[in-house]
Amino acid sequence: MRRAFLPAVVAATVLFAVAPWVVARAPYEQTMGLVQKIFYFHVPSAMMMFVSAVVCGIASAIFLFGRRPRADHVAVAAAELVAVFGIIVLVTGPLWARKAWGVWWQWDARLTSTLVLWMIFMAYLLLRRYGGPGSDRLGAGLALFGMANVPFVYWSVNVWRTLHPKTSVVMTLDPGMRPAFWLSAGAFALLYAALLAARVRLEDGRATVEQLYLALDEHD
Amino acid sequence: MRHATVLVLLAAILAVATPGEGAPRPTSGDPTFALSVQQPSAPPPAPLIPEGFEPVGERPPAEQLPAAPFVMAAYAFVWVALLGYLWSIWRRLGAVERELADLTRRIEDAGRRA
Repeated sequence: MRRAFLPAVVAATVLFAVAPWVVARAPYEQTMGLVQKIFYFHVPSAMMMFVSAVVCGIASAIFLFGRRPRADHVAVAAAELVAVFGIIVLVTGPLWARKAWGVWWQWDARLTSTLVLWMIFMAYLLLRRYGGPGSDRLGAGLALFGMANVPFVYWSVNVWRTLHPKTSVVMTLDPGMRPAFWLSAGAFALLYAALLAARVRLEDGRATVEQLYLALDEHD
Repeated sequence: MRHATVLVLLAAILAVATPGEGAPRPTSGDPTFALSVQQPSAPPPAPLIPEGFEPVGERPPAEQLPAAPFVMAAYAFVWVALLGYLWSIWRRLGAVERELADLTRRIEDAGRRA
């Protein structure tokens, strides 16, 4: 089972070795300068947070309506990754904001809705950890609600007037910045896939342990 | 008649009180006005400490936040978070594998005894 770790470790090593060098070679932004380079990790982390929230929601729907136990394992794994990538976004963002905007935090639409999305999936994890019997189905419902929030979070910068850059920033990126950004995004996507696979394996193992305990009780 | 008299008196009072263009004005060189008229002096020197707020176009370099600590802190946190999560999964997987091995052995032992 630990072989599921190898792709994650390789992906993390590539990320560590290559991405910072590519990011350092990327051109400086005109008004923000050096601090804009947080963008190359901040935005891919946010992308993976949204992807993971959608994966969790879809897996929860399959578990709720299709009654497939393995879909629940995927949902738990994806929810944990929402929490991990979400905390990365919520820490790197204010570090960038302190220099760029002069404040650590603004209660604008994008920042507030991202925090709420992260809190929803933290609530999901707490529910699964401490909720007892039936928490799997209740958590699945909560995950569906969390997935429904993702479009609001994404489009909030376009609908409301915020300090946060709009979604068009990525598509209109300067050609000199594109290799660093897409390499970083690809590395994060690869790392996400490996982490999800490893985490699902962990949930599969826990389910097997539970079944073996039941089998042992039957023997006794 | 009385009204006309009042109006004439008012006009006379106003004519005396208001200096016309032809009225003589005090001059600096006239000694008659030396004691009663203040000589125009040079403008006072600018105070060393400004009395009010003065806007500037850009913050001086000494007042600007350096960007490098924020960039380094952000990247360091990303690595700590990801590697920390990897370590967490590694640890939990190891515990599950040990538990699986133990349970498998116990079930085999139970099966042999049965």
